[in-house]
Amino acid sequence: MSGCNAWAPLALLIGLCALPAAAQDYVGSNACRTCHIDLYSTFFRNPHYKSIAAGNQAPEKTGCESCHGPASGHVGAGGGKDTIPRAFSKLSPTQVADTCLGCHAQSISRANIRRSEHTLDDVVCTNCHSIHRSPAPKNLLKTEQQRDLCYGCHTTVRAQFSMPFKHRVNEGSVQCTDCHNPHGSFAATWNMGARPRMVEQGVGNEQPCMKCHIDKRGPFVFEHAAVRVEGCETCHSAHGSTNPRLLKRPVVYTVCLECHTGSGNFGRQANGIPRNSTFHNMADPRFQNCTSCHVRIHGSNADSFFFR
Amino acid sequence: MRRLAIVALLAAAASAQPTVAPTGEPVGITRGENHSGYNVRQSFELGARFRSVGGDQGTYRATVNYGNGLRLLSSSLSVQSVEGHGSAFDQIQLNTQGLGNDPYQNASLRVEKNRLYRYDLSWRSNAYYNPGLRSDHGQHFADTVRNYQDHDLTLFPQSSLKFFLGYSQNKQTGPAITSAQLFDGRADQFALFANVRRQQREYRAGFEAGYAGWRLNVMHGWVDFKEDNSIRLPAPSAGYNVNDNSTLTSFQRTEPYHGTSPYWRVVLMQESRWWAVNGRFTYVKGQRAFIQDGTGFGTDRFGNNVTQQVFTAGNAQRPAATGSFNFSVFPSTKLTITNQTALSHIRMSGSSVFTQLTNGSPIRPFVPFEFLGIRTIANSTDADYRPLTWLGVRLGYQYSTRRVRSIEGFNAVGVQPMSEQENGLNTGILGVRLRPTKSLTMNFDGEIGRADQPFYPVSGKNFQAFRGRAEYRRGDFRFAGYVRTDYNVNSGSLYSFASRNRQYGADGTWTISRTFFIDASYAKLHLDTLGSLSYFSRVGTATVSVTNDRSYYVSNLHTANLSAHFTVRGRVDVSLGLSHIQDTGDGRATVLGNAGYTSLAAFQSVQTFPLRFTSPQGKLSVRINDKLRWNAGYQNYGYGEQFSSAQGFRAHTGYTSVTWAF
Repeated sequence: MSGCNAWAPLALLIGLCALPAAAQDYVGSNACRTCHIDLYSTFFRNPHYKSIAAGNQAPEKTGCESCHGPASGHVGAGGGKDTIPRAFSKLSPTQVADTCLGCHAQSISRANIRRSEHTLDDVVCTNCHSIHRSPAPKNLLKTEQQRDLCYGCHTTVRAQFSMPFKHRVNEGSVQCTDCHNPHGSFAATWNMGARPRMVEQGVGNEQPCMKCHIDKRGPFVFEHAAVRVEGCETCHSAHGSTNPRLLKRPVVYTVCLECHTGSGNFGRQANGIPRNSTFHNMADPRFQNCTSCHVRIHGSNADSFFFR
Repeated sequence: MRRLAIVALLAAAASAQPTVAPTGEPVGITRGENHSGYNVRQSFELGARFRSVGGDQGTYRATVNYGNGLRLLSSSLSVQSVEGHGSAFDQIQLNTQGLGNDPYQNASLRVEKNRLYRYDLSWRSNAYYNPGLRSDHGQHFADTVRNYQDHDLTLFPQSSLKFFLGYSQNKQTGPAITSAQLFDGRADQFALFANVRRQQREYRAGFEAGYAGWRLNVMHGWVDFKEDNSIRLPAPSAGYNVNDNSTLTSFQRTEPYHGTSPYWRVVLMQESRWWAVNGRFTYVKGQRAFIQDGTGFGTDRFGNNVTQQVFTAGNAQRPAATGSFNFSVFPSTKLTITNQTALSHIRMSGSSVFTQLTNGSPIRPFVPFEFLGIRTIANSTDADYRPLTWLGVRLGYQYSTRRVRSIEGFNAVGVQPMSEQENGLNTGILGVRLRPTKSLTMNFDGEIGRADQPFYPVSGKNFQAFRGRAEYRRGDFRFAGYVRTDYNVNSGSLYSFASRNRQYGADGTWTISRTFFIDASYAKLHLDTLGSLSYFSRVGTATVSVTNDRSYYVSNLHTANLSAHFTVRGRVDVSLGLSHIQDTGDGRATVLGNAGYTSLAAFQSVQTFPLRFTSPQGKLSVRINDKLRWNAGYQNYGYGEQFSSAQGFRAHTGYTSVTWAF
């Protein structure tokens, strides 16, 4: 019995900690407005204002306290960051993610966020989103343009989009999220291996390239297996290139000849990618531009050599 | 106030680098005007662009493409219900960029009524100019415009049962130059005019329902595609090759290609404290019908008159089913284990007829549809363990197997034998996350993979990848370094392919004061690949088979970006920026080099491609009053290739505009 008494205070403490915050611990967003007028005066433009406008949400899901926690202690202490239950600048990345995902987890686009590369690298919600001071018109991004946000970390990708020929991301007409899901995507079912990891599927279940390049989708009587089996990146650098068709090489025939060697166990029949025929005199410039004759290189309905 | 000023400064400086206009600086901290319970804010930036281009106009249009004239460079309209209880809507948000005549124009609109509906519109128009560049032997020119629009309506967006309706359109139109080879496989090529008309429309409807923590999302869509290009010879032609006798006096081809791809997508997900599960399953039934009818008149390579008609028609099917199933467990707050299984099954089959009449005689009367089926199964398990607040470890293993079934064979009648092959790939991942202080984070990942039968010589076989990143962030200063390497060694029975890709980058931003901000980055992208070459060459009248040459491609790309932004007396904003890209190639000064790998001059000349692309810019923006700004900017583009001056250009571009906001 004496032992039991000895543990009683600890048990009481644990019990109190485990209890959810009482309703009286919540003071409502109007109390926050008293001091944080600069934030509250424009908060009606914030998507999170919906919780206040609804008027029927539980206190723990309404306004400021839905993210920052019950504020009675903070108010009672007359302010101070240490008295805010969830001051985001003091939370660990995991705690930030847990707080936001308490409401935002139930979305298809965020179905894989907890195992996404960003989350695993401790890049969580507040690294990209600014809840109170976003300059972006939508999605509360930290920068006005989405590309600037992504370039902030992906320096080498920024370098690729600085190439002379590229998708028009810098010009604002193509967004990173047209092809990528920063919240984590489902596995790329068109490819082997763990990569690419953050690429969003398009048109049901295909590579995102097919969302725009609709004529390459097929099906064709004669498919160029490179497109279907290994994907567009076999020949193309999607971000930027020295070739106007975003090929991996500055001229087309080196791309082709690096595979079409006729050797090994490669290709559809596992007997080598067909070598070009004898009349292709590669010293003659007319044979150095493969797509001049093999026009339908992505797939043809009329010719197995993609002539028409 | 200081933080607001810094946010505005960051926005202006960051957006200043890629293109000089539109202007990033806000006019002021607009509070808007209130009308009937709504707060209305609006801004317009109206201006004129100018340009002056010397050198190759085609390359300029392919890389930059901004022209002269008046533009609505950007605009924004925001209408917000102050209380969140508007009558028909609670929010309207409209943003536009480049309207008027910019090659890249876009607009987005959101109209929302809390808890009732949300409507999103995205509209984009991109004018892509593909000049037949010299490196492509001047062929396949295209001057097309792509227009995209996406409409999405969500009903009851905040409820547990919501409905989705959507419509998307993707349209590409414009003139192009293509080519055809006539009248046989060894004959000459001819430039043809093509009127490109492609259009895809997608209609979709679905719902999402939540119950007891589970969420089910179902979407059904119909994607209709049609291509109605018409191709013709603009004028009688002797072809590209002067040594070939072929001529073409008349040619026309029509090739309608229509189809539909109805699809289903089902997503089921649940997340609890201890575990999470989600699955995504899709099925697409792709169907296309095609006809191609082309007729040409001229002379063949022997000088004989030829009339050739090619007719082909058929139906194609491509059913595709995919599934991705993820299961995660969280045994403790420090450990996450995820298993993922992905399945893809796709096959292309159909029927086709083919007739070719040369001077009235049928040739190659029948070509069967080539079957291609691909089935891929991948399973991966990842564990993320964080024993300490500053330490995290990640382990992963993945196994993929792919089966490719194929029926090939031209000029053949009847059923052809099917070939089948299996590929397997095993990969392992190890990663470490360190956070020794709150300001410093470091991530390192390594991946190693082994494939038993890669599909191509350039596919991954024995590969290893490493990625490291460190970031230091303190106050308004941030510095990050990045390294990534991808090495791959593939080999066949006689030839080998190896690639080494190394990327290094560093970038930093520093908000020195409320009025001064700098951003700088440098990256080096190295790539060298070594592969085999197997080709034929003519020595005199003899044809020589070359099998011991190598393709050794080297690229050393250096890129640097620097931008600075400062504000003078809170009224004048000045931005300066520089973007410089230089590929130093393999260091050679002449076209020919690397003779030890290949003796053919044509190959030596394209094994490296040194170039530079520089773009300095400057911008001045003056706040006239709380609602008005005057802006002016200048951006210079200089592009040059070391081995040729034919495609180089230098362009002076600029703009002046007025921004009005309230």
